[in-house]
Amino acid sequence: MSVLEIRDYTKSYGDGKIAADHVSLSVEAGDIFGFIGHNGAGKSTTIRAIVGVLDFSEGEIYIDGHSVKDEAVACKKMTAYIPDNPDIYDNLTGIQYLNFIADVFGISEKEREERIKKYADMFEITKDLGDLIGSYSHGMKQKVAIISALIHAPKLLVLDEPFVGLDPKATFTLKEIMHELCANGTAVFFSTHVLDVAEKLCNKIAIIKKGKIIASGTTEELTNGNSLESVFMEVVNEG
Amino acid sequence: MKDKNTTLLKTLLRSTSQWNIYKYSKDKKKRGRVVGNAIGFGILHLLLICFCVATTIGYGRMGVIDAAPILCALVLSLLSFIFTLFKTNGYLFNFKEYDMLMSLPYQPKEIAAAKFLYMYCHSLPMYAEISFSIMVVYGVYKQPSFIIYPIWILLSVIVPVIPMVVAAFLGFIIAKISSGFRKKNIIQTVLLFVLVIGAFALQIMSQNMINPENVDILLENIVEKTQQIGDMYMPAKWFSNAIVSIRILDIILLFSVTISVFEFVMLMVGASYRKINSALQAHATSKKYEMTSLKKNSIYRAIVFKEYKRFLGSSIYMVNAGLGEILSIILGIVTLIFGFDNIMSTIMKGAPVTTNMLYPAIPLIVYFLIGMVATTAISPSLEGKNYWIVQSLPIEKKVLYQGKMLFNMCLTVPPTIFAILCIGISAHASVLSIILFIILGIVLCAFSTTWGCVCGVKHLRLDWENEIEIVKQSAAVTIYLLPNMFVTMGLVFLTVFLGTFMNANLIVAVLTVIYLFLSILSYCKVLSLVKKN
Repeated sequence: MSVLEIRDYTKSYGDGKIAADHVSLSVEAGDIFGFIGHNGAGKSTTIRAIVGVLDFSEGEIYIDGHSVKDEAVACKKMTAYIPDNPDIYDNLTGIQYLNFIADVFGISEKEREERIKKYADMFEITKDLGDLIGSYSHGMKQKVAIISALIHAPKLLVLDEPFVGLDPKATFTLKEIMHELCANGTAVFFSTHVLDVAEKLCNKIAIIKKGKIIASGTTEELTNGNSLESVFMEVVNEG
Repeated sequence: MKDKNTTLLKTLLRSTSQWNIYKYSKDKKKRGRVVGNAIGFGILHLLLICFCVATTIGYGRMGVIDAAPILCALVLSLLSFIFTLFKTNGYLFNFKEYDMLMSLPYQPKEIAAAKFLYMYCHSLPMYAEISFSIMVVYGVYKQPSFIIYPIWILLSVIVPVIPMVVAAFLGFIIAKISSGFRKKNIIQTVLLFVLVIGAFALQIMSQNMINPENVDILLENIVEKTQQIGDMYMPAKWFSNAIVSIRILDIILLFSVTISVFEFVMLMVGASYRKINSALQAHATSKKYEMTSLKKNSIYRAIVFKEYKRFLGSSIYMVNAGLGEILSIILGIVTLIFGFDNIMSTIMKGAPVTTNMLYPAIPLIVYFLIGMVATTAISPSLEGKNYWIVQSLPIEKKVLYQGKMLFNMCLTVPPTIFAILCIGISAHASVLSIILFIILGIVLCAFSTTWGCVCGVKHLRLDWENEIEIVKQSAAVTIYLLPNMFVTMGLVFLTVFLGTFMNANLIVAVLTVIYLFLSILSYCKVLSLVKKN
């Protein structure tokens, strides 16, 4: 069974604009799935629907067999989401925020301590966790958001432009974490504009343009010996 | 409430708690500001308590202390209803951390309920202060059984919930209707205006029910009249009965109805919560723009335009900062239609005051509507995370604030002139008097603008989570509003008193000079603050 399955997902707005047009794709356990497209193509709209933030009327989205529409809470328990610009509470300290998320997911004290320590050490942010989030840089906020997403060991990790604002070391760490999670059976679904990263990191890729999936498959199938950049430019210009 | 939900509420409260900032911030300036704000708020709350105590003592002296419990319930209900109407949509919908919260394993109903309870917890101290002040004075005058004190305290916490839930439900209906439109903010603002003005009209109607033709008669039957209003609003009656007659059934009724109404409304809100938020967050995109020639504007015009767009971009901001202007226009039209004399005789209830004596108060009455919220007290902090844009502009900082002040003048002066003109004509004031009224009105707008800017710059706060925190609850707005309100109220009475033996035009001229001086002082203070910052 797929960890994430999107069937004919369509999102249109009142003014008739279609942000996502019959999007269908499937992400298996252990996949690192890259979702690429230009600005306004429908990446974030799709991602926000997957994580239950955005309402939609047409199509279905399943997480581990549970419908996002009908069993939203069950789906969210298995999912972690990191938005492109995480709006986390500025007046909480990093550790207060992480503790809040751990409470919401009912993580035991031992597990939360272990996981927070592990990931905070990896991102070299442990000593800053006692400070107010408002005093953090964009990258530090991003790191806290990533740690909060990993606290409950999700089955599906959904990230919207996760590498924006991260320093090279943190970018490397995040990639390592993605590999580690996938080795343990987690599926990772993320959007990015950095085609090099997508090409090297992902085993599956989908390209979206004007709300429609115009190319999708394993990275090898899609690139077929060419660079992802050239393939992307080709399909986007054709489509 | 399940533990997970308590955690959410606790986190929401903590995320805006000044104590948390004080405890964990390493920035000394920030911590100092927290202490300063706490002292300021403490003083203002003390003033509120004094006001409530003094008013209730007044009731005691007039021999109408029996009306205190029902009046307390009615005041709490009305205040909580109106205040919630103003802020509910900012709290419940389209908030900044919506994506983060909605991606957590909560049902939409639980998030809506937590947001509502957060709003309730923030409002509760004020309602408690009002209620407990009345309770203490009532206790001194009536010497009731000790048991009424815990009942009063308990029910004071409960009684604002139903009006708040009803106001939140109305806000939800407005959000639901407006989410279907392209110009969501405008629709939401118009509907909110209609609702708030309706609430004020209802309040005036209910006051007229209490107020008979004569002040003496009013004092004689105030208990009976308030009881009549209480009969129409059952929760107030239950509150009063529970205290006066210690009726357990009324306590149970108040509790059970409150919980049922809360559950029902949250169920309704939760059912379409995601849909409404999704629609509110969707920005209309036509993609039909074609590049045409662009007009060059002056810096001031550009800043005023930016402020104007910011104003239109937020229904919370528009309703709070624009309501006075709308009310003053309505007042002007109503006065023209019904006549100044008729309206004043209805308000004065036979008090020995002539129209001439009221003349100097006309600009102050208009200012009481328009000047109670200044965009200049709000807009500096509303820049929030976009502050870098204005900071990095190649202009002097004072130009930015001059632009902000200019916008407030553009917003307040036209309705001020209109309202004063209408009232002046209706009151058959001389041309000279009307001109003097208008000059005072404009000077009062200048004072509101500059004093607002002093408060806005001095209490600049950019790290807000929700713009409601700035528009309704910020130190800048509170410090601007309360002294301004009390001084204006005092001046209205003073000018009417002076009008009994002094020439009205002379009073207006003196006030104009005083306020002009205060405006210049405030303007200089803005410039020095801007320079220092």
